[in-house]
Amino acid sequence: MNKALLQPIVVICICLFFTSCVRDTDFNQAEDVALTPIIELDLIYFNLSANNFYDSINSNPILSVTDTTEIRFLNDGELQDRLQKAEFYFKFTNSIPRNFQVDFQFLSETNDTAYVAGTRVDEGQPATPVITEYTEIVENADIFKLTQANKVVVTVAIDSSSQNLEGDLNLKSKTTYFLQN
Amino acid sequence: MRYFLTYILCLVGVLAMGQNKQILYGFDAVPQSLMLNPGSHVTQKKHFGVPFLSQIHVNGGASGVTAYDIFKDEAGSINDRIRTAIFEMDNTDFFTVTQQLELINFGWRARNEIYFSGGIFQELDFISYFPKDLAILAWEGNRDYLDYPFNLGEISATGDLTTVFHFGVNKKISKRLTLGSRLKIYSSMISFRSVDNRGTFTTSLGGPDAENIYEHTIQNADLNLQTSGYASLTDSENSGDVTSDILGRALFGGNLGVGVDIGMNYEINDAWSFSASALDVGAIFHTKDVENYRAHGTYTLDGINLIFPPLSDGEATLPYYDNLEDEIKNELALDTLTTSYTQLRPLKFNASITYGFGIFNSSGPCDCLNMDGSQLHKQNVGLQFYSIFRPQGPQMAGTLFYYRRISNFLSAKATYTVDSFSSSNVGLGIAADIGKVNFYLAADNLLRYNNLAKAKSVSLQLGFNIKIDDE
Repeated sequence: MNKALLQPIVVICICLFFTSCVRDTDFNQAEDVALTPIIELDLIYFNLSANNFYDSINSNPILSVTDTTEIRFLNDGELQDRLQKAEFYFKFTNSIPRNFQVDFQFLSETNDTAYVAGTRVDEGQPATPVITEYTEIVENADIFKLTQANKVVVTVAIDSSSQNLEGDLNLKSKTTYFLQN
Repeated sequence: MRYFLTYILCLVGVLAMGQNKQILYGFDAVPQSLMLNPGSHVTQKKHFGVPFLSQIHVNGGASGVTAYDIFKDEAGSINDRIRTAIFEMDNTDFFTVTQQLELINFGWRARNEIYFSGGIFQELDFISYFPKDLAILAWEGNRDYLDYPFNLGEISATGDLTTVFHFGVNKKISKRLTLGSRLKIYSSMISFRSVDNRGTFTTSLGGPDAENIYEHTIQNADLNLQTSGYASLTDSENSGDVTSDILGRALFGGNLGVGVDIGMNYEINDAWSFSASALDVGAIFHTKDVENYRAHGTYTLDGINLIFPPLSDGEATLPYYDNLEDEIKNELALDTLTTSYTQLRPLKFNASITYGFGIFNSSGPCDCLNMDGSQLHKQNVGLQFYSIFRPQGPQMAGTLFYYRRISNFLSAKATYTVDSFSSSNVGLGIAADIGKVNFYLAADNLLRYNNLAKAKSVSLQLGFNIKIDDE
């Protein structure tokens, strides 16, 4: 009786182990796994006052000011591979009674121009600032160009300037990065 | 032989998905039950484990998700299923893998009726809690989570590769009470732990007075990672060095620790008995090859503030980006320390209450299968309790079991376990004594064996011993 019992038990156990399986699954789907995070990140900001556009020592108007910063992560290999779309959002608040042309020139490490963007900024009044919003969407082939850049040159040009000019030009900006691995 | 081992390891690998050995606990036909309760009944006179084959134990699990949930072969996108899984799981869900391989195990009953046992086994133990917020951040990004504080403190994981040298004693000190204890020396080959982390990351819209559109804030961060046995491996350039390094540490060359197991079995009356054990009451002292990392602080990122300095031709502007990086490094300091640390072993606690019936006296005048002279029952039913202390608190399991001595060479135990993984875990173990060879096999989650992909956890132990019941 006991031996009669042993055999079936051992057989059942062995069967259990050898017939146990992983079914109804398709592990090849792992290749389709795609992380698609959408990341919001501040970019640059500045505050320029009207007297930035007038050289009071030499009594000369300064019609354009320029500054440059590196954005080193932009041409990082991982971002180059993963970036699908970038959405730049610039918000100007202008209380200077002048129009501005603001240009963003993205340069590569060798200072070649990789991508350019720019906008007019509407004039405002010291008491009633005017907001100009500008969105630059970069996608498809332009992504390649953008991710060759690792710095941005910002040029702010004023139509005309005088000693008595008052007010401030403020920029806030952010970028939305659409990534996919 | 090599192929046999490969097959066993492959099989084990497939089944690999808790750390509870609920089937083996109290299974006195298997000498390794002494490893779960040093104070349990010992029925044999001597035992020798077949080297490397006396116990192969693998278990693993994921409390919140199964392979089937993610990889099922149905319509729909795997990415949608992953997203659903991320949102359905909690930060208390965890992934765990435990593997043990006995190199040597032996025991004998001395003239003074003390059963001595000892051996060496290797153990891999890994647990990671599910860092839900970080998973959401990685999967979705921060755009749809403005003002949501992503919890960085959810990072909680430990991993250890250890060799354990042990020696224990077991004695029936009265008609009803058996006590036992075991001393363990641990040699840690590689260890890492990242627990007690805290901090949040929040992206919020800046108000009218804010510098920029958003404020990205890391608040009260304190993240740490302790490692030992790792730094020198990254220095070794070729893999041969790494292997010999690790093997060296397996034999007392690693970071050493000490611990004890204690256990008891008490027969309340002829039918009822109670047993309990506490395992791995001890610590490992990490003093060699230690590298600890700690990042802490509070910082708000606004982007880069251009100030348009008046520059003469060819003059470079301010290094805004470098300055920003320096500022972040200053505010969120990353320290690398080599100070020693002590790590408590994951304390395990087992207890059971058993009701036995039917007299089992197989071996005639010499009750050789029952060397400690206790009453053996043909059948036992009872309840077991198990808990293990993990970084975020104890994990517990309750088991209902039925144990039957079928003949003098065959015993079986069936279990029904409720734990963090499931409430329908049925396990079965058999032990057979074929001549002097003792073989055992125990596995749980049998209801899931027709499709292991649907199992949240699987545990398997098997092994071969030589058992000697008489002279």
